[in-house]
Amino acid sequence: MDPIILGIAVVNGIILGGLYGAIAVGLSLIFGVMRVINFAHGSFLMIGLFIPFWLWQLFKVDPYVSMIVAAPALFGLGYLIQATLIAPLYRRERAMVLEPISALMLTAGVGLIIDNVTFMAFGPDFRGITMGFASKALWIGEILNINYTRLIAFLASVAITVALSLFLGRTDLGRAIRSTAQNRDAASLCGINVMRIYNVTFGLGCAVLGVVGCLMIPFYLVSPSIGLAFGVRSFITVVLGGIGSIPGCILGGLILGVVESVAAQFVTATSASIFSFVIFILVLFFRPTGLMGMKA
Amino acid sequence: MANQTALRNQTAAVAAAVALGILLLLPLAVKDEYYLHVLIGIMFFAYMASAWNIVCGYTGQLSLGHSALCGIGGYISTLLFINAGISPWIDMLIGGVCATGVGGLVGWPCFRLRGPYFALTTIAFAEILRIWTENTEEFLGIQLRGAQGISVPLRGERPWLLQFDGKVPYYYIILCMLLGVMAVTWWMERSRMGFCLKAIRGDQDAAEALGINSTRYLLSAMALSSFLTALGGSFYAQFFRYINPERNMGLDLSIELALMGIVGGQGTVLGPVLGAFLLTPAGEITRATLGGKFPGLHLVIYGLVLVLAMLFLPKGLIQPIRRLLGRRAAAPVEGEPTPA
Repeated sequence: MDPIILGIAVVNGIILGGLYGAIAVGLSLIFGVMRVINFAHGSFLMIGLFIPFWLWQLFKVDPYVSMIVAAPALFGLGYLIQATLIAPLYRRERAMVLEPISALMLTAGVGLIIDNVTFMAFGPDFRGITMGFASKALWIGEILNINYTRLIAFLASVAITVALSLFLGRTDLGRAIRSTAQNRDAASLCGINVMRIYNVTFGLGCAVLGVVGCLMIPFYLVSPSIGLAFGVRSFITVVLGGIGSIPGCILGGLILGVVESVAAQFVTATSASIFSFVIFILVLFFRPTGLMGMKA
Repeated sequence: MANQTALRNQTAAVAAAVALGILLLLPLAVKDEYYLHVLIGIMFFAYMASAWNIVCGYTGQLSLGHSALCGIGGYISTLLFINAGISPWIDMLIGGVCATGVGGLVGWPCFRLRGPYFALTTIAFAEILRIWTENTEEFLGIQLRGAQGISVPLRGERPWLLQFDGKVPYYYIILCMLLGVMAVTWWMERSRMGFCLKAIRGDQDAAEALGINSTRYLLSAMALSSFLTALGGSFYAQFFRYINPERNMGLDLSIELALMGIVGGQGTVLGPVLGAFLLTPAGEITRATLGGKFPGLHLVIYGLVLVLAMLFLPKGLIQPIRRLLGRRAAAPVEGEPTPA
């Protein structure tokens, strides 16, 4: 294997991995706080990609500007779905212990609806946007080049994750979210409105996808069918990094990105994801808390 | 009280006999090939959802990897038929045995995981198999043909080769398979195994503390379910005469089976059948009447039904029917007060 080609693959993998990490952050946050596996996660990302796509297509709004529409829109959607669909499950269960499977299937149903309504509206085509800026690249030396849009996406992904960590660590709302994750009853006794925290958490987890979608659309093609693949990939990232750990997400994403990118040099790109699944299974069997996760 | 119970049992027996009679005589009334095709599809899904139910419904562990078992059955039987010329009747059983082995091997480490972890791991295993098959043209000299899929060659009408001119024989085969899987489920529910599985579903730790070897029972259920699922996969391959990794091993199929089982009522004999008999026609009707205009509509309906079922009927559509018949709901172990 040519070390230069391998080097390029690793750099591409890191760039991609940062994005995977940012995509998975929302899933990890939701699972960490609510113990709900959001099976519709990838479908929310798909919406997060379609919003900047249409804003560009119809009004020529720059995707980076679209964030101010996409992030609140997805926050609202997530908030609404949690408040109207998932919250009743909590209220029904005794002692507010949620049966994880029913929430998983419920969000799977939501995902099916989102995917197929989008499919009926826009058809199966893969769509992307072309900006003049998108073809420019940063050259490092003679061989290695990184497309600016990808570089921005990577840096912004890391920034989102850091910002989210700071938010959870330093603000009152963040503290309320963390305390709810640690012990719901104790949080409730301290005067925290647990159901409202859940709504906000779910909304936040989705809002991140609005931002990521705007970062991805300059170089990524969107179609209504991409949701499930990204959802599954996010589960792998989250489990790899350790459920509930925000820095773990980026680490998991980076590992996943590099593995996929390097493996694609040896086998076809479509079979490269087999390796991610194998890693996923090994981690679950041998280190179920993930690489940076805390003991349950 | 005793009289009432006897009366209810009689009503149930009469209803079952009538339903069976209708199903047996239906091909005499339905001459249209298309409707027969739809009926076979409905019963195929009823069969598959019932096979899924044996492990998932009764143990409470959600498997989203059953499509892989269906694919193993379909691929092994088809490849043996094409390459070795062995009758599909035998190939089915060989495929079933292979799937049982795979199900057991995968299930053994997986059952240590619970809840969403189990579900995600089953997805991972099934996806590995699907992606591998999709990207493999040839393996050990056997043509797998990757994503293109394999067509089953037509050898004329030969019952021994499971090939018939009309669809009626297929109808009776899948009806027999469906009745078979229901009988197996019914028997299992009333056996020691069924009670142990219900105990495990209620609380695995408590069941183990009572001396139930949970791994043994979970694996037995998994093996049984794997075998039956693979038989269904073989039937699918022979009936449609075409299989591909996307349709026969994909995550969509797994979700569809789980959906029918859950919407109908998991952990009951009739639930998954009910789910398939309601959802498959709904999907088929929208596809046939509005299909051209709204290609994804039936999946939107599936999604809506699933969401509504999770919200309002978490034990499935079978629940209100049972209540109507005055029977206890599915699972007494879950701590419901028993109606006096």
